[in-house]
Amino acid sequence: MKALLRFIFLFFVFLFLQVFLARNLELGWGAHLFLLPLFIMILPFETNVFVLMSLGFLLGILADSIMNTYGLNASSLVLFAYMRPFVFKSFTPKEGYDVLKNPTLSEMGWTWFVFSYGALLLMYVFWFFVVEIFSFREGLLILRNSFFSFAFSLIVALILQLFFRKKALS
Amino acid sequence: MQNLVDFLIRFRVFLGFLALQALCFLMYIQFVTYPRSVFFTGAGKLNGQLLAWENQCYQYLRLSDENEKLQQENAQLRGVTFDNYYQIQRPTLEKNDTVYQQRYRFIPLHIISAPTGQRNNYFTIDAGELQGIRKGMGVISNKGVVGVVFKIGKKYSLVKSVLTSDINIDVVVGKKQVRGILKWNGKSPRIGSITGISTDSYVPKWSEVRTQGSTGIFPKGILLGKVKSKRRMENQSLWDIDLLFQEDFRNVHEAFVINSLFINEIEQLQQHIPKDSIE
Repeated sequence: MKALLRFIFLFFVFLFLQVFLARNLELGWGAHLFLLPLFIMILPFETNVFVLMSLGFLLGILADSIMNTYGLNASSLVLFAYMRPFVFKSFTPKEGYDVLKNPTLSEMGWTWFVFSYGALLLMYVFWFFVVEIFSFREGLLILRNSFFSFAFSLIVALILQLFFRKKALS
Repeated sequence: MQNLVDFLIRFRVFLGFLALQALCFLMYIQFVTYPRSVFFTGAGKLNGQLLAWENQCYQYLRLSDENEKLQQENAQLRGVTFDNYYQIQRPTLEKNDTVYQQRYRFIPLHIISAPTGQRNNYFTIDAGELQGIRKGMGVISNKGVVGVVFKIGKKYSLVKSVLTSDINIDVVVGKKQVRGILKWNGKSPRIGSITGISTDSYVPKWSEVRTQGSTGIFPKGILLGKVKSKRRMENQSLWDIDLLFQEDFRNVHEAFVINSLFINEIEQLQQHIPKDSIE
């Protein structure tokens, strides 16, 4: 119950951060800061994939409707949620997943988190820009935007994970 | 039947994924095709209110900039008030309403959300139907063109900014008034691009780009920016011109919607053009 309340609280925190802070960052080189995927990432391991996708859709729609991005975030978050079980499966540790743990940096370690979040975020970012730009002629623009957004969002996600280490343990 | 049920159960996750993606796609269609549905956009009632609050918070951070801008404008306006001029030919300064008819009316407003990082950027403004704003009206700031009204809500509206790929505003370049079309290639919010100018026209660097005013949405001669560089398009005898916008769209807050009083007349006239000659 306590965990559920915490995730509901986090849902709105992430929405707030993405819509009112990350959106206003002017980074240049087409880099966007994507924080919403981190919320889908840190939901517990045993979360049903339908719940993941619905949460992603809801979160994305709410963000999109304020940011005038007409379903882009929702679409990418649904993809992120859909791919999460596949990626987690392919990065399973030797001894399997501990049911009591959460998929966060402090509980799963650097290698696991960077690789699985990196893989998912790369798909997310690439999907986002392909759907947004939707033109082969502007392929270079897609690649440039994807690369810078990916690098920047990953670094910020790692910093956030380090920051809220204690909270994640409780 | 059994097979179908098996299939549905087996691919239930993927089907759920597809269903949600279809919903996202529908949202896109709704955004693009129905100008009056503002529910899932920043022009909705609740979202507009949220953006307005956010804007109020950020406004405190730029009060000094705003002051400076107003001061400059004041200085400029002071320069043009008649009190500062010596009237030479007194009778001619009288305004005669039968000679000049007002053509444009300007509605002041705030831009409460101006993303520049997307491929197609839509701005949210804090004026809507109540202020008499209609779809297709032009929006300018005091340093250049901002965009065209795209969707109207009751109190808030969306503007299709010049930072979209197909904004297609007619412009004239330089002293020779060469005609071109403004587009945006998505690379930098300071740089626009102009197409449709053939390579035999002379376009010197830093020549001014102004609105053409042919459609009646914008007044003629509003300065947009200057030509920064140009190169030949591949396989075409057209210039690909980079335009340095005078307005920095990352930092634009005040603007005006242009109510063009003659636009109905222009549109009515243009309806008489035979369809096949447009292409």
